[in-house]
Amino acid sequence: MRRLHLFVVVVLVSVAALAAQTPTGVGPGQGAPLGPMVSGPDFSGSWRPQQLVTESQTAAGDLVDFGGIPLNDAARLYALSWPASRQTVKQHQCMGYVTPYFWYAPANYRIWEERDQFTQRLTAWRFYGQIAQGDRTVYMDGRPHPPAYAPHTFAGFSTGEYEGNTLTVTTTHLKRGWIKANGVPQSDAATVVEHYIRHGDVITMLAVIDDPVYLSEPLSKASMLVRMEKDPDAWLYPCDDSEQILGRKNDTVPNHLFGQNPYAREYAGKRKLPVVAALGGVDTVYPQVIGLRDDEATVKARMMPSGPAAVSRAPDPTPNDGQIHVFRVADNVYMLAGDGANIAVQVGPQGALVVDTGAGKLSDKVIESIKTLSAKPIQFIVNTSFHADHTGGNQKVAAAGADPSVTGSFFSMQFQGAGAGATIISQLNTQVRMLANKLAAPPTDTFVEDRRRKFYNGEAVEAFPQPNAITDGDSVVHFRRADVIVAGDVFTTTQYPFIDTANGGSIQGEIQALNFILDRTVYVHDEDGGTLIIPGHGRVTDEWEVAEYRDMLVIIRDRVQALIKSGATLQQALAARPTFDYDVRYGATTGAWTTDKFVEAVYTSLKTPPKAGR
Amino acid sequence: MRRTQLVAVLGALFFAATVSAHHSFTATYDNDKTMTIEGTVAQFLLRNPHSFLHVNVKNKEGKEEVWNVEWAAAGQLSGAALVSSLKAGDPVVVRGNPARDPADMRLRMVSVKRTSDGASWGFGNGQTFN
Repeated sequence: MRRLHLFVVVVLVSVAALAAQTPTGVGPGQGAPLGPMVSGPDFSGSWRPQQLVTESQTAAGDLVDFGGIPLNDAARLYALSWPASRQTVKQHQCMGYVTPYFWYAPANYRIWEERDQFTQRLTAWRFYGQIAQGDRTVYMDGRPHPPAYAPHTFAGFSTGEYEGNTLTVTTTHLKRGWIKANGVPQSDAATVVEHYIRHGDVITMLAVIDDPVYLSEPLSKASMLVRMEKDPDAWLYPCDDSEQILGRKNDTVPNHLFGQNPYAREYAGKRKLPVVAALGGVDTVYPQVIGLRDDEATVKARMMPSGPAAVSRAPDPTPNDGQIHVFRVADNVYMLAGDGANIAVQVGPQGALVVDTGAGKLSDKVIESIKTLSAKPIQFIVNTSFHADHTGGNQKVAAAGADPSVTGSFFSMQFQGAGAGATIISQLNTQVRMLANKLAAPPTDTFVEDRRRKFYNGEAVEAFPQPNAITDGDSVVHFRRADVIVAGDVFTTTQYPFIDTANGGSIQGEIQALNFILDRTVYVHDEDGGTLIIPGHGRVTDEWEVAEYRDMLVIIRDRVQALIKSGATLQQALAARPTFDYDVRYGATTGAWTTDKFVEAVYTSLKTPPKAGR
Repeated sequence: MRRTQLVAVLGALFFAATVSAHHSFTATYDNDKTMTIEGTVAQFLLRNPHSFLHVNVKNKEGKEEVWNVEWAAAGQLSGAALVSSLKAGDPVVVRGNPARDPADMRLRMVSVKRTSDGASWGFGNGQTFN
């Protein structure tokens, strides 16, 4: 009986895992695509790494040993601001490995094939690494990569094909990881193409990283695996984070201010190398490195922000094609993308609960999409903010929740507007500001307490106000069974936070709000999976990206605070470019929320913190 | 493609060859220095990727502060008699490499001795970690 239970659990978990990876267009019951008949070299077996050559290719390395890496100026400053002490921050202790870093751990690897049960066609290669227990799947069945708004993982999403005797693997949907774990980042916009060639008991691998955010040109890294005659029977290396530094506040993220890394010259000094060579960059890759100037002025210039203002080089994951894109996040919770801010929808036997209603330009399509998820009426809407891109669809979406069957019932007497439409819920200040700004359909059901709760569709749903974050009326919503948190604009993957100081927002409140989210998240394995986050804008994530965002804001806060302490005016703070290393990922020079406006909001809220909100 | 392969080759020629673990102790600690602390165990966490021993130590002003001592992975510590019996309040002397960032109050474990019974780690063969 227990074996049967175990079997059922295994089957359910497997089905859930497959469902989570099912790409658009493959419905339940249809299985994976049949895919082409492919054949090529067999990579199966147990392997150990044999690093080919270079220190620049090893995983961790020395501090400020960036030479030979074509990192751009932003990546160099990102790396220079990184102290090893960053690894003591909880979310960094069990960080997973992106490829090709995946292959640089001094431990055991196993490769095996997955074949379709009925046709015996090769459906996937599996790569497993002992350190971090990394588990990669390389699909060989021709399936497409997921949409851009799908979650990223440290393994990423890989597809493969044979090119003669070479297995070529293309990986997207990677998280921000390391090119080298001494601070040199690989961004979440990177695509990695790997070529695997087997000669007897040796696999040679050449990986090419194309990272539009942090690299000036593609970086190639080579490595080798040597086959082990026997299974080493050592495959586990579970990681569990802990409170490594007792008593440290959760808004502490160790970092070096620009130009103040005390170890910037250490590696070059010990190796008697030019400092400019150790600082990396595309001109340290080629022979011209020998002729580079290495005087103090040149070195200092490479350690400080310079050049024209940068804008984000990461593509916007939302299609913005006039359509609403529905993505199942977990269980009965979906994300609808395409009409301004992301919309979350929870469905079940009672009806639909919607978090935010978008900009209102595509409300008819939003309602149509919700109806494909649930035939029941939309009974509740929660607004995470008063901003128009979150509330613009309130009127139409609420009206779509009309339900004559409850009119006059105790249900309609309990909730404002029930029967006529959905009841709109928010923190009180959201209602106040919507009324003041004459925005349509403001919330009618408000709260000022620390938690508004509701059991709906068989699930506990909680709304938590986040005082003085983006505004003074933001909330985040937690669907506890599905374990999905709707962050509103407290967290986005596309821009700096839209801290609205005129309406009560502040950098301090924003950092606290992100830490509030992180206090509720749990990952499944090495900062992957578990609690999933629907951001105000951008793609679905888990806690890793929230932690990265928090880290960035703490670091920028520290820099602006240091500028204020030195007596800098706002103009001087802007000129110091305290966001320089993040502008290539989040920056903007045009539009409603530019980098300068963000820096101004940080500066203003540090100089004049908002009064405590309601 | 040819250009990126050239990059790898040039990089190989330019830099010396070493292999280092995922977690760089050279980057984290000043391995040329050692220091000794004496106090009582506040907490012991047997963990991967590394274990931590937290030690209450009185500073020069007599104020108690916590030192955070990074130790080996759980698997590397298995079988060590001291490890299985460490508990809060145990009096210990710890020798280690100080962190590059003094604010962390952190050491990389070199050796530890419990003064109440002499049990120790770091003095025998193989009692090191990377």
